[in-house]
Amino acid sequence: MPALLPLLLLCLRLLRAEPPAYPAVISPQDPTLLIGSSLTATCTVSADLRLRAQDLYWTLNGRRLPAASYTALGPTTLSVALARLNGSRQQSGDNLVCHSRDGGILAGSCLYVGLPPEKPVNISCWSKNMKDLTCTWAPGTEGETFLHTNYTLKYKLRWYGRDNTCQEYHTAGPYSCHIPKDLALFTPYEIWVEASNRLGVAVSDVVMLDILDVVTTDPPSDVHVSRVGDLEDQLSVRWSSPPALKDFLFQAKYQIQYRVEDSSEWKVVDDVGNQTSCRLAGLRPGTVYFVQVRCNPFGIYGSKKAGIWSDWSNPTAASTPRSERTAGGCDPKGGEQNTTLRRELKQFFGWVKKHSYGCSNLSIKLYDQWRVWLQKSHKTRNQVLPGDKL
Amino acid sequence: CALRARDSWGIFAFLCAALCNLPAVPALNGTEELGAGQSIQKTYDLTRYLEHQLRTLAGTYLNYLGPPFNEPDFNPPRLARAEQVPSATVDLDLWRGLTDNARLAANYRAYSRLLCYLRGLDGQVGTVELRHRLGHFCSSLQGLVLSIAGVMSSLGYPLPAGPAGPPAPPGAPAAPNDFLKKMDDFWLLKELQTWLWRSAKDFNRLKKKVPPAVVTLRMEARGF
Repeated sequence: MPALLPLLLLCLRLLRAEPPAYPAVISPQDPTLLIGSSLTATCTVSADLRLRAQDLYWTLNGRRLPAASYTALGPTTLSVALARLNGSRQQSGDNLVCHSRDGGILAGSCLYVGLPPEKPVNISCWSKNMKDLTCTWAPGTEGETFLHTNYTLKYKLRWYGRDNTCQEYHTAGPYSCHIPKDLALFTPYEIWVEASNRLGVAVSDVVMLDILDVVTTDPPSDVHVSRVGDLEDQLSVRWSSPPALKDFLFQAKYQIQYRVEDSSEWKVVDDVGNQTSCRLAGLRPGTVYFVQVRCNPFGIYGSKKAGIWSDWSNPTAASTPRSERTAGGCDPKGGEQNTTLRRELKQFFGWVKKHSYGCSNLSIKLYDQWRVWLQKSHKTRNQVLPGDKL
Repeated sequence: CALRARDSWGIFAFLCAALCNLPAVPALNGTEELGAGQSIQKTYDLTRYLEHQLRTLAGTYLNYLGPPFNEPDFNPPRLARAEQVPSATVDLDLWRGLTDNARLAANYRAYSRLLCYLRGLDGQVGTVELRHRLGHFCSSLQGLVLSIAGVMSSLGYPLPAGPAGPPAPPGAPAAPNDFLKKMDDFWLLKELQTWLWRSAKDFNRLKKKVPPAVVTLRMEARGF
């Protein structure tokens, strides 16, 4: 009796009506094709399902395919002819599905239709403080390949060394890679990009570069913008050379850009040289300005190349002093002369106050009062000289 | 499947903050009950947040799979392989009758498994954007698993044993072709959605039961 039990169980298992794991099989399964090619696919239904070829239909990406393109190749096999295929609608592949008459899915196949990749182009790289290297490139021709394309950046030291592969992708956009360490100076690198997809591989031209020729750095730190005394049309800008390269920046160039608070137009000062200060002139009085500075560490270790500009420093704001005329006073006549005279008088009174005792009444207010009085009387009365009230 | 340290660090810190953020109550069993209550609330909130995140993720992913997968009434057959994904669907009476321990354990086991499957989705999947979304969702889901573990331990329940080995060993159970893999991915997302709906109800139920239940459970543990 016990010996029969396993046999019984086995029989029961075979007789139990289980749905087949895969009701139908499509051929070819997940093919890769060139755009414009044609394909004949077949769907063979499992015998247990008791479906016939005429009970089946096809859809491609959810759209039913015309019955005119079907051919029954056998009692349980239906084929469909697809001509001049377009590039895949999605990179995961076009969904070609074999259905039973009631719409149920029996099987599916993913069609990958596209083009082989083009040579990547425009490889450009930069090194931050000679510590690392970031490269970007562009896929060849605007054209879509319709297939998922993998890019691999490779590099090696010229004349010796084995090929290395960059690992950190997408650090500066979709077509970029970052090499964080183990870079050598003074020997050029050969760099290239390989593009590959299901239909083939394409390799870019090799770019040769020396790390020292593509150095960039951080923006200058400690940017201070301040007024120049009372001068209404000038501001003084000072900064420190970026700390990471400060020992090497004897030849660096700087650039300043500034704009008025409510304008988006930047003015650039190009001939700053390698000073770490500069005076901006010809500005508008009583206006808020935003100022930024950037650095180009060219000529590092004798490199002859142009170097790469850093990012702009964070904007620093400062305002020019208001001009006297616009200080809310109503001065209908005199214009420029009065302004200068007034300013000088102010400075004079300030000096007198500092250097003498008992002159607390002496101030510009007195001068103003006198002018008011002068305007009131047309006749020349006893002129009260500014110093008289001493 | 190992929890990546990088992902769990922030979530662990959050959990610690949640569990340690107890008001100073002089009552005897006070602190632990309040701690569990707050953890349950936070877990509930997490499930709602994940539900919201999943809607965007699923939308993007199904568009990547292409029609008919992104059609609203799409309902492919569930093949043998898809049954490995733990199902949230359960008889109503059975669900009502679950003990707190069983309820929590079911959630814990399901999400641990789902997390492993989701992580397996990565690799060559679609665009960089999609991979980022997926990565972010996995981190949040891991947070949910940890949160459930926190609730269980604060109520004195042992954690269920981890999922038996990696769910997709190289070869056999992996989908044999790309189309079947797409169907598996579809059902994974569907099941995740159903679980999140169900968990919200599970934790709502637990929220109402916890304070008196703690006393009851303690008695259970002592064999009364």
